[in-house]
Amino acid sequence: MVSEKLRSVIRAQLRLDASFPIEEETSAPRVPGWDSLAHVALLAAVEHAFGVRFRTLEVLKLRNVGDLQALVDRKLGG
Amino acid sequence: MAGEQLWTRWTENARRAPEREAIVHWVAGEEPFRWRWGDLVAQAARFSRALADAGVRPGDVCATILRHHRAFYPLYMGISGAGAIASVLAYPNPRLHPSKFVQGLSGMARRSGLRWILTERALEQQVRPLVEAPGSTVQGVLFPLERDLGGGGAAAPAAARPGADPHLPCLLQHSSGTTGLQKAVVLSHAAVLEHVRDYAAAIGLGPEDRIASWLPLYHDMGLIAAFQLPLACAVPVVTLDPFEWISAPVLLLEAISRERATLSWLPNFAYNLLADRVHDEDLEGLRLDSVRLLVNCSEPVRADSHARMLARYAPRGLRPETLGACYAMAETTFAVTQTAPSRPARVVEVDRDALARGEAAPPRDPERARTCVSSGTPIPGCEVEVVADDGRPLRDGRVGELVVASRSLFDGYRNLPDETAAVLSNGRYRTGDLGFRVEREVFVVGRKKDVIIVAGKNLYPEDVEDAVSAVEGVLPGRVVALGVADEALGTEQVWVVAESERHGTAAADALRTAIQLAGMAIDVTIARVLVAPPRWLIKSSAGKPSRKANRERVLAGELDVP
Repeated sequence: MVSEKLRSVIRAQLRLDASFPIEEETSAPRVPGWDSLAHVALLAAVEHAFGVRFRTLEVLKLRNVGDLQALVDRKLGG
Repeated sequence: MAGEQLWTRWTENARRAPEREAIVHWVAGEEPFRWRWGDLVAQAARFSRALADAGVRPGDVCATILRHHRAFYPLYMGISGAGAIASVLAYPNPRLHPSKFVQGLSGMARRSGLRWILTERALEQQVRPLVEAPGSTVQGVLFPLERDLGGGGAAAPAAARPGADPHLPCLLQHSSGTTGLQKAVVLSHAAVLEHVRDYAAAIGLGPEDRIASWLPLYHDMGLIAAFQLPLACAVPVVTLDPFEWISAPVLLLEAISRERATLSWLPNFAYNLLADRVHDEDLEGLRLDSVRLLVNCSEPVRADSHARMLARYAPRGLRPETLGACYAMAETTFAVTQTAPSRPARVVEVDRDALARGEAAPPRDPERARTCVSSGTPIPGCEVEVVADDGRPLRDGRVGELVVASRSLFDGYRNLPDETAAVLSNGRYRTGDLGFRVEREVFVVGRKKDVIIVAGKNLYPEDVEDAVSAVEGVLPGRVVALGVADEALGTEQVWVVAESERHGTAAADALRTAIQLAGMAIDVTIARVLVAPPRWLIKSSAGKPSRKANRERVLAGELDVP
């Protein structure tokens, strides 16, 4: 389940309008503006919003928003 | 040494020092795979044999479309060993629509005369129809990385014949783009080896050097500086996956630190990414003392990007004199100019208003100053002239088009005589770049042509305009695409202005999204879409919307909604 907070961070960072659907299976190539250059900045925004830090290998394993949510949850839970 | 083919040079390197490291193949989170010269050339010979067995003949163009893979290097060398012409193509980004990928590839195949596609099974479905298409030059699709080549010795490949002609073509490079209209530059063995020798002299390359690179090899900077150069000069190169690097820029610093690399080539945006997008905790234990030269190349060099890089990494051993720059293009094999190693790139402050009038003059008002970074002086065998619109040479400090004469100059775009004639005459190449000189140092300040450079990659506004024109609701042909400075990332971003009857209506938002999606389908991120009313765009004398005239209006905010 993708949290509203993560959705709004992604939408704000990529300047998407509030109705743009963001689900677990949403992946970068399907989202306007979410290219490889924007990706690093987006992850920094997520880290900042949730007060977490991602490691290099964790970042490289992300395939979609569901993975990103799970990573955030793991960081917050652990 | 005249009269050599690449293969001769490589086998000589292997004979001299079979145990010396040639290529360190880097994958995040894994132990790197180390190719030593003896094994690398032996494996390349096996690939040569396998390719010949599959039907590849000397002179055939073999295009590779492969991801980061340890067997790529001997495969590439094996193509050369078979006497064929290697051409590295970009592996399709997941954003690129499959039909656009196929369209681009078939255009390239036709125009450049591609004969074989060497790729991965994942792309078979998309690539296979090219072979069957009527009139196609593509004879076959091969999956060379699936083959078990065995471990035994292979017979000497075609290129090992004594007296193999060094003036035969060895590689074909494409300009960037996705539309199939990419222009191909063909280079001979002699041209590559001569250029690499000249460039090695310009950077003082020596046996103690070690290169680290994340650059893709379908681009001249990656292919020549970080692949042909180290192979020809037997300098080890550490190669990273470009896809991994862009998601985790710290990987390059890790590779430099662990492998004690001395040299790296980077487009300007990479300095911003490294300075701003790496966590302190990821830098623990990393040192950059080994670096003697970082070469900023492939997009305009920004003083601010160098300053940020230095501020961030001086505490980790990065020295100011390592921040160099280079001006390069595929048409001259690679480098035209290079800053002196062991000295930081020279910087001059000029007056913005004077610069716009074509004069690099000292600023009268600090508020109107622009800092220009030198790309260095011409490398051996190269000359740069600054010329006015009428072709008249200009003196130092005057802004004009950069025209290059080089012994590494290409002899034309493959199969494109008109495009060649437009830029090449009497051994001089008109670059389309604008710049000025100060005491032989070349400063590149802009472009005469409308190309947009995003993160080191050239985009052609026509390609974006065509894609956007096809979007329902956009008035066909009433579109301009512009490159606008992206200060935070140290590169440019793409803006689009499209005329539509939907201007000012609720439907304009949906149209903006549709236009962004059309950009994504050709792997172009449109950072900003401006929907204009019909007849808003100013036309040029040729009747097409003028990029230059409309750019000024857009930047002045004429289309901004309150």
